[in-house]
Amino acid sequence: MIKNYKMEPVIERNSIPSLLKILSSDYSIIAPQERNGEVVFDDLKDPECLVLGYKVTILPPKKYLFPPEEILFTYSGKGVRTPSITSKKLLIFGLSLRDLEAITQLDEIMSTPHPDYFYWKRRSRSILVGVTDESVHAPPGGDLILERMDDELYRAIPLTQAGKKIVKGRFFKKQDILPHKGEGNQVMEELRKLLLDPETLAEAVKWSRAEGHPVWEELGKRCIGCGICTYVCPICHCFSMENSVSLDGSTCTRCRKWDACTLPGFARIAGGYDHHPSQKKRYYNWYYHKFVRGYKEYGKSQCVACGRCQTYCPARIDIEKELLGIVKDYREACG
Amino acid sequence: MQREAKKLKVGIFDFTDCEGCQVKLVSLRERLLALLERVEIVNWRLGQEKNRMDRFDLVLIEGCPITQDEIDLLKLLRERSTHLIGFGTCATMGGIPAIMDQKERAKWYNKIYGPQYKPRGIDSLPLTSYVKVDFLIHGCPVDENEIVRVMEELLSGKKPAYRGYSVCFQCKLAGNPCRLINGKPCLGPVTQGGCGAICVSGGSPCYGCFGIRDTAQIEGLLDILKGMADKEEIERYFTMFLRYTKEYNEIVRPFMERENG
Repeated sequence: MIKNYKMEPVIERNSIPSLLKILSSDYSIIAPQERNGEVVFDDLKDPECLVLGYKVTILPPKKYLFPPEEILFTYSGKGVRTPSITSKKLLIFGLSLRDLEAITQLDEIMSTPHPDYFYWKRRSRSILVGVTDESVHAPPGGDLILERMDDELYRAIPLTQAGKKIVKGRFFKKQDILPHKGEGNQVMEELRKLLLDPETLAEAVKWSRAEGHPVWEELGKRCIGCGICTYVCPICHCFSMENSVSLDGSTCTRCRKWDACTLPGFARIAGGYDHHPSQKKRYYNWYYHKFVRGYKEYGKSQCVACGRCQTYCPARIDIEKELLGIVKDYREACG
Repeated sequence: MQREAKKLKVGIFDFTDCEGCQVKLVSLRERLLALLERVEIVNWRLGQEKNRMDRFDLVLIEGCPITQDEIDLLKLLRERSTHLIGFGTCATMGGIPAIMDQKERAKWYNKIYGPQYKPRGIDSLPLTSYVKVDFLIHGCPVDENEIVRVMEELLSGKKPAYRGYSVCFQCKLAGNPCRLINGKPCLGPVTQGGCGAICVSGGSPCYGCFGIRDTAQIEGLLDILKGMADKEEIERYFTMFLRYTKEYNEIVRPFMERENG
């Protein structure tokens, strides 16, 4: 008879706060918590405040690896200085599988063609621990994933040396794991399926633009250009630079700041020429980068269907529905 | 021998307003002292005793010019200054004084002061209605970091730039639930950022005191607002600070008229 279970490390739900308390002596812990009725990633001061099984956070965890505003260097008469990170290593806990996948993509983007020094400065000092209600088939990234078996128990799936080290701790024990079926993830389920065929998605989006599909005219009118879809995206990584000279005239500072392609300055160049002079063009660029350029450069769409852009769009643009519509029209037109 | 850089001559003036933006200037504290190493304030009624009317490299004007005296002084300051900067929303867009209703005002004058009373106020228009203004530091009140940013740009010989992003940037960073998604009006998406989203973080809507952002999609926002507020309410939002903006007159008003149809 074939044994259909095996001994695997597990941790009880009740032990997770104690585990985090122990880990906090080595790491600064970031974890999802509730603020004003929303779930956000923040410093975990009290492990009891940890929220698991949440739908989605407003900002993705990328803010800890690629901060919204970051001083790259300062220059004074004494030369150039790059701010150093003196704090403890970072442990980001409670990431969803899609957020883990997004960071795996960001790692790749931030390594090509040259490693982004400032991103890796933080990333190389961070540990990612995913927690999910879904069944984990192919781990999308991170150091350790805790997969929920039932209300009391999580199966530990260590993926790196750092993850293995955590699992060796006293809160984990070995137990027989029966095959089980986790919950599905209903967020953007249809888009998720589309992402399995990034080539079609890329062709369809490119086609829609070339053929003057009316969707872009309509979305160009509806988009209010607030930039939120970009800020909340776990993969969007465009930035602008701001240079300043201190009030006393002694120090120059270069700061990089999240930018959004739906904003006016994004494609404006010296002399004032704007490559994207209309909201329609700016809005299309967001899709172009994710689905056309992303595919061309990395062989996949720069989207993990986390649902944030749709959840937090003040104009309530149903991005999944629009993309499905474009792909449907493309298939009908091009067979 | 190192030559001491010539200090910029600065004048700080105020017209009709609450003086709250000057309080913000004072609350720069150590940063104000650092600024004073680089500039010489030759005229600041609220800040020093000895003042003179000179030529100015830079004039900051707070408040809304309402009386003839204020309008005349504004024109004189324009002639005598290289850079003239509106300081706070009363100066840049009319601000709180500009909420007044001319017809109502005449009625109340009569009722309170009697028919003999001669009002001194002429109108409540932003500085730009009378003179050319080089830069507008919006805000009710202005934000300390924005004052420093603009001063740093001026002192390093750059042309100050407006923020190219909306209030939503800092609002999302603050982790605020979106008012618009929750069916509550907000002008954040069309308003220039830099304020720290302080109003929304405190539970209030954004009324746009930081001015309208470059290429703001106002019609798109109006389409959203009309699903959650009636015409009077939308009008109130846009006339709190923005009634003298080009966008209000060229986009919001025609839109509301079309809606009335």
